[in-house]
Order: sequence, then C-alpha cells, then structure tokens
Amino acid sequence: MIPLDFTLNGRGCRAEAPAHWTVLDLLRDGLALTGTKDGCGEGVCGTCTVLLDGEPVRACLILAARLRGRTLITVEGLEQDGEPGALQATFARAGAVQCGFCTPGMLLSARALLAANPSPTEREVREALAGNLCRCTGYAKIIEAVLAAAGGR
Amino acid sequence: MRLPPFALDEPESVPEAVEVLARLDGESRVIAGGTALVPTMRLGLIRPDRLVSLHRIEGLRAIRVERGALDVGATATLAALAGHGAVRSGWPLLARAAASVATPAIRSTATLGGNLCYAEAASDPAPALLCLDAQVRVADAMGERVVPIGEFFTDFYETAIVPGEIVTGIRVPSAPPGARSSYVRFCPRSAEDKPLIGVAALVTLDGSGRVSQVRIALGGAAPTPILARRAAAALTGEGLTEAAIRSAAEAAAAEADPLSDLMGSAEYRREMIRVWVRRTLLSLRVASGLEL
Repeated sequence: MIPLDFTLNGRGCRAEAPAHWTVLDLLRDGLALTGTKDGCGEGVCGTCTVLLDGEPVRACLILAARLRGRTLITVEGLEQDGEPGALQATFARAGAVQCGFCTPGMLLSARALLAANPSPTEREVREALAGNLCRCTGYAKIIEAVLAAAGGR
Repeated sequence: MRLPPFALDEPESVPEAVEVLARLDGESRVIAGGTALVPTMRLGLIRPDRLVSLHRIEGLRAIRVERGALDVGATATLAALAGHGAVRSGWPLLARAAASVATPAIRSTATLGGNLCYAEAASDPAPALLCLDAQVRVADAMGERVVPIGEFFTDFYETAIVPGEIVTGIRVPSAPPGARSSYVRFCPRSAEDKPLIGVAALVTLDGSGRVSQVRIALGGAAPTPILARRAAAALTGEGLTEAAIRSAAEAAAAEADPLSDLMGSAEYRREMIRVWVRRTLLSLRVASGLEL
C-alpha cells in the first residue's frame, strides 16, 4: 500500500492505496466519494474529470500515487455550506442536468475554465467542455449554463 | 474496472530511473502521463509486472529555449507546450500541433515524450517535429544518446527505444528565418478523435517567391509518421502556384503507405492525403501574401 497525503476539496486527506489503483478507484472505493462517475475507463467520456492542482484531468487514467502532496477537487468540493454551489445552482436553473451522469465532469471542466477565463466566449466554453460526453441534453443548455454562470446570472 | 496489479517505482532523478530499469527483470514499462498506457493495460493488450513512473522527476518537465533551440523535457505536458509563450511565438507549428491533441483533460496529463514513445501513426506532434528536424534525447544506465526524429519511429507502434532506455527530452531547432508553417488535421468524426490524416508543412520562399526550403510531414499516412520527401522535392524551386501545389499533393499521395482500419480504407486515406496536403499548402500560399 502507498501512503498518500494530499489536499482533497480544501481539507487535508491521509489515505493509502495499492500501486495499481487510479485516482478514480481511490475516490469511489477507498474514500466512498461516488460523485465522480466511472464511465468509459479510458479517458474518452469525461465523467470522471476532477481538478488536480486546478487542471482538469481524467481520474480513470491517473495513478493514485500521483496525488501525493497535490490538491484535488471533486464534484463534492463544489458545495458551499452543504448546499449546491453557484455553478451547480446555475446548471439546475438552466435545465442543464437530465440523467446527471455527465454532470460532475461538466461542472469541473466548467470550473477550470471559469477560474482561468472568467468571461469566456461560447466557442471557448465549447472547447473547454470538449471530451465531456452527454447523451441526454444535446449540450445547448449546458453551454448556456456555463455562460450564465460566467455572467453571474 | 480495476487495472491488473503491478509494482510501482517512483524514481526522483533520471540516473535513478535508468538504474531501476537496468536491474529489473520481467516486463516493466515506463509511465509518464499514462493517457495511452493506462487504457492499453485496461484493454489487456499489455500486462506489465512493474511500472516506472517519471512523475517525481522535477527537471524532466522543463520547457527551455537554449541558444536558439527549444528543449522540451520528456514529461512536459501537451497543455504546457501549447500554452508556453516562447513556444507559441518561436515554434508555432509545434504549439498548434500540441493544442490539437484530444481534449483539455487529456492534454493536461499527456506528455510530449509519451506521445512519441506511444508511436501512434496519427500522432499530431510527430509531423510538426519531423518538419522541424527535432532530436530525441535518450538515456540508459550507460549514458545518453540522441536519435534524430526521422529515425525514431521504426514501425507500427514501434520506436528506436530499447528496453532499459527512457526518453529524457526533445530538442527542436528554430525554423529557418521567414519560414511559414501550418498543421492541419482531418477528423471525419469528432474533433477529439485522433486524425485520419494530419499534415504539417514548413515552407521558406526566396526573394523571388520561389520555394527555397520545404518540409511536409504526414500523420496517419503510413505505419509511422513520415516525411513526404517527394512532395517536398516537387515543390522545391517552384513558386507556390496552384500547379506546383497540385503536383506536390499528388506526390504525397503516391509516396504514402496508408493502412486500412475502421476509420478509413487505404484508398480513402490516400485520397484525403492528396486533398489535405493541397489545402495545407494553399493556406501557406495565403499566409505568404499570395492570392489564392
């Protein structure tokens, strides 16, 4: 087992993981944080996207050992005082959630974009969300939600 | 689905990494970003006993300009390369190719060294590096050697790297003064897919508007990324005319050795090489201030 000290959703986390576990294995099976979804397992669908030192990465592709000393944000970290955070609330208001399976990856990709670029164009939103597959809504409302969150609406 | 179990080494320096690789038996693999290796393991195509991860080797991530050449550490990510100011201004062909790969959450993890070692025939960065005449730095327990990028890819998913070696960096000379370049990728399905065909071109015109130097490189056109030498020869000494561009595109299609797979047949690929080499060169004609 590999001992791991890292920052998870703003708090110190001490965990251990076998060498062959990915970040996704550790989150879902080691830490019971099931907000990060297990989709394709090969980095294509985007639903396991999390932020590692602020950058969007695929939890299914990264070995858990790489977390040592780093900062990880998952969808659970977007809550504020036990309530949905502003970005989550905007997704709900815009009707950008249908089955919800892609939502964690969409939210974290959007959060990374807005942190780097607070006033993105629609094209920039589309590029930032590329690689997050939604099979329900057809993306229009998701893109509207990110633009609305950027505009503070 | 879990990965099959393996042991993990996390060396903190290149000498430590090559020493670990030299004394291992069984099947070991070097892992950088893991965006190619992890899915390959999950599919059961390889089953290594041990992975040697390069993620703790700080110096291997650096991107530097030294005496006019760009030096990219093997584990610099494609996102870091695409967003680096000096790369964007001095090596725009490479910056553009790196920015073309997959999606943001892959580019943040995938590394330039890993992309080359995976040796995907339709690699986006490889044609850019072929045009720029890059050199790959390789180390093992005995020392270092340099492999010209033109000799790095040896066959379908095969490279000149032998067991015990790791890629430590990629050195990219400056393009000739006044050179114009472009990288264009053709994806018949979604933009995040690997391209069916990728075309990189680097063209320098002399004072009378004739092509003095040109390199054209192709991804997805053969078992490895290739230089289209006959296409370049067809253009050298000519003006960037419609006729010269057309004959260069015909030459590229003729010298390619495309494979058939689920993305497209060899015949379709050959036709698309002709189309996209022509379009790429036409875009450079426009960029050079000539009329389309």
